[in-house]
Amino acid sequence: MLTLEAVSYRYAGARRAALRDVDLELRDGEVLGIVGASEAGKTTLALVASGLAPRAIGGTLRGVVRIDGRDVAAAPMHEMAAQVAIGFQNPATQLSGVTETVFEEVAFGPMNLAVPRNEVIGRTWDALASLRIEPLAERHPARLSGGQQQLVAIAGLLALRPRHLVLDEPTAQLDPAGTDLVAEALSHLSARGASICVTEQKTDLLAGLATRVAVIDAGAIAFSGPADEVLADPRLADLGVAAPSAVRLYRVADAAGLSPVARDRLTAALAEELDVR
Amino acid sequence: MAAVAVGGFVGPLLLVALGVVLPAVLAGVIGQLARLTLLLSLPIAISAVLVNVFFFPGGETVLLRLGPITATAEGLVFALEILVRILAISGAITLFYLTTRPAELVVDLERRGVSPRVAFVASASVQTVPAMVERAGQITAAQRARGLDTEGSAWRRVRGIVPIVGPVILGAIGEVEERTMALEARGFTRPGRRTLLWWPPDSAWERVLRWAVALAVPVLIVARVAGWLTWLP
Amino acid sequence: MTELVAEELVHVYREGGVRALDGVSLRIGAGERVALIGQNGSGKTTLVRHLNGLLRPTSGRVLVDGADAATLTVAQLARTVGLVFQDPDRQIFAPSVRDEVEFGPRNVGLAGAELRAAVANALAATGLAEAASVNPYDLGGSRRKLLALAGVLAMRTPVLVLDEPTTGQDARGVERVRALIDEAHRSGRTVLTVSHDMRFVAETADRVIVMRQGRVVLDGTPAEAFGPDAWEVLRSTHVEPPLPARVGHRLGLASIATDASLLDALREGAPGAGERPQ
Repeated sequence: MLTLEAVSYRYAGARRAALRDVDLELRDGEVLGIVGASEAGKTTLALVASGLAPRAIGGTLRGVVRIDGRDVAAAPMHEMAAQVAIGFQNPATQLSGVTETVFEEVAFGPMNLAVPRNEVIGRTWDALASLRIEPLAERHPARLSGGQQQLVAIAGLLALRPRHLVLDEPTAQLDPAGTDLVAEALSHLSARGASICVTEQKTDLLAGLATRVAVIDAGAIAFSGPADEVLADPRLADLGVAAPSAVRLYRVADAAGLSPVARDRLTAALAEELDVR
Repeated sequence: MAAVAVGGFVGPLLLVALGVVLPAVLAGVIGQLARLTLLLSLPIAISAVLVNVFFFPGGETVLLRLGPITATAEGLVFALEILVRILAISGAITLFYLTTRPAELVVDLERRGVSPRVAFVASASVQTVPAMVERAGQITAAQRARGLDTEGSAWRRVRGIVPIVGPVILGAIGEVEERTMALEARGFTRPGRRTLLWWPPDSAWERVLRWAVALAVPVLIVARVAGWLTWLP
Repeated sequence: MTELVAEELVHVYREGGVRALDGVSLRIGAGERVALIGQNGSGKTTLVRHLNGLLRPTSGRVLVDGADAATLTVAQLARTVGLVFQDPDRQIFAPSVRDEVEFGPRNVGLAGAELRAAVANALAATGLAEAASVNPYDLGGSRRKLLALAGVLAMRTPVLVLDEPTTGQDARGVERVRALIDEAHRSGRTVLTVSHDMRFVAETADRVIVMRQGRVVLDGTPAEAFGPDAWEVLRSTHVEPPLPARVGHRLGLASIATDASLLDALREGAPGAGERPQ
């Protein structure tokens, strides 16, 4: 379990705090979605939760980040790597830049952690398979498309077999097919007991993936709760977050004055459609 | 180093033949090697030859007189000596670049106990070049789409440098922090040895050859100091 | 009045010899509002880069306003076709938002009052007027993306091409882009949007062109392109129709692409049920 207790964070040289008094709990096996407008603090939250802020980038932190009750400020950074993996939205900066094949790139993390050689190889193939990118294994990472690079970067995190995974808009560069692959891999990972915290603009993705959702606004958690309740909350629009397609459709249907019969038909078809997905 | 240790020009010439040309032919990169060597060392070589042929102090045997300056035979010999040494050094370095894959170098350095961070710097500096070229290409395309004229006069092209180089540098700086964080988050700064998946094959005769080459340097230095090589012109 | 025509356009990339465009012929009329969709690697970006000359055909040709694009430089074509790239960080260089927006229009010859008006309008349309003197790198990702858009908008080109304008945008940013496309359309500009966001496509385009492996495989109104007849082709391109189209299909309704058209079709006795409202 990863917890943030009354956490505030200010970037080095910044006048205002980027996070204010955040209390958050990431339970084992759960997918927590973080939504909010651009510049509301989603990326900062991801950096703080993964321990990179302030340890790697400076700045001042108040409050405590704990993993299973232990204050992470006390552990060396490389120990965090085995506990919490973090992925960013720009695939170009996530690749190590020193590997010549996708296979080596995905193996990079566990190699750093001195995982035994055979296990590194096993984990790497597993990670490649879970995103269905085994055919890329021999390719040069720098010569892939942005979307492919993003899948490789995520595979590199999966190979770390982290108990906690923090992802900052992991599907921003992906087409719908790539987005689906990531969603599938993440739900498998959480089914195996890992806890995942993912910031996203794509609420349609979170609707099918997240167990809980927290909404962040101006550096503070505006509200949070079970995913279906939060994603249907009318306050989302005011906070710069688009409701999922299904919620919007229900909402328009209510406002459009459909007959009860028509609304029932719509509701049934919508439920069927979402269930199939 | 051996080329400097061995005096005269015949010795270094033999070294160039044995140590640079022969392996380059065996590795099939002699064409590339010749082109690169010419490109890299020609300007230095020309200036070295000119300076020495005409201004070698104590040159007595006059070959040619051009007004106040004279070319001397002693100068020419010395210039040739300099030239073969430049060839030997630049040829060896170029050969190294042409025949060594960066990844193999890094893995091999690491296997011999060099810190992964040192190896990373060595490798990343080589590997970021294609990424920068790619980025510069995309930036150029975006600025041309905004009407930047890169096909017109020289002046226009000069004006186009800031909008293209600006984002290349700004972007590279901006990415350094994120890249550092990503590396950190993947355990790169963990002290101690990493797991290696593979390392380049290192056969017995390669080891023998390496030791032989390494031994040759002190042997040649000693030979030169002791005056055993004076029979070489 | 600017129309864009591609005739048997083929593009083979020198590296790898990939046939990115494999005989594309299409005509986009002046003032049309078109969306270009398809999987990554289907050739969308390659196609739009031919429209302003950044790429030149391996064979076939592109006509901009009736003129063969091959006879014009990129700088000349930039006066007609404004292309906004996906990644704003690959173009922002100026010290302030205003300077950044002025770069394009200056290049295409705008000056004086006309330049000031073009820049002011573009800043207003993207919601960046108050940030005009801010350093672009102090803006968040969403607003940097809008800045890149403003920079092309201010060039006042008769054709506007947007490559993935909604990726990385928050809901407010997406609304801005939508409003901006509507405004450009109203003022008679031709708008071509490349997007993976099918909901956005259905709501902002009158015509949808679907590409697969360098060819155009579907071309029609959103209702046609996302309609049941097109599903087989869409599946082969890994494109999923937007939710209202899928729900409409379950309800046995044809010609549905948007929430509004679905609700119209469901409203009993409504005239013109199933048509896309204008």
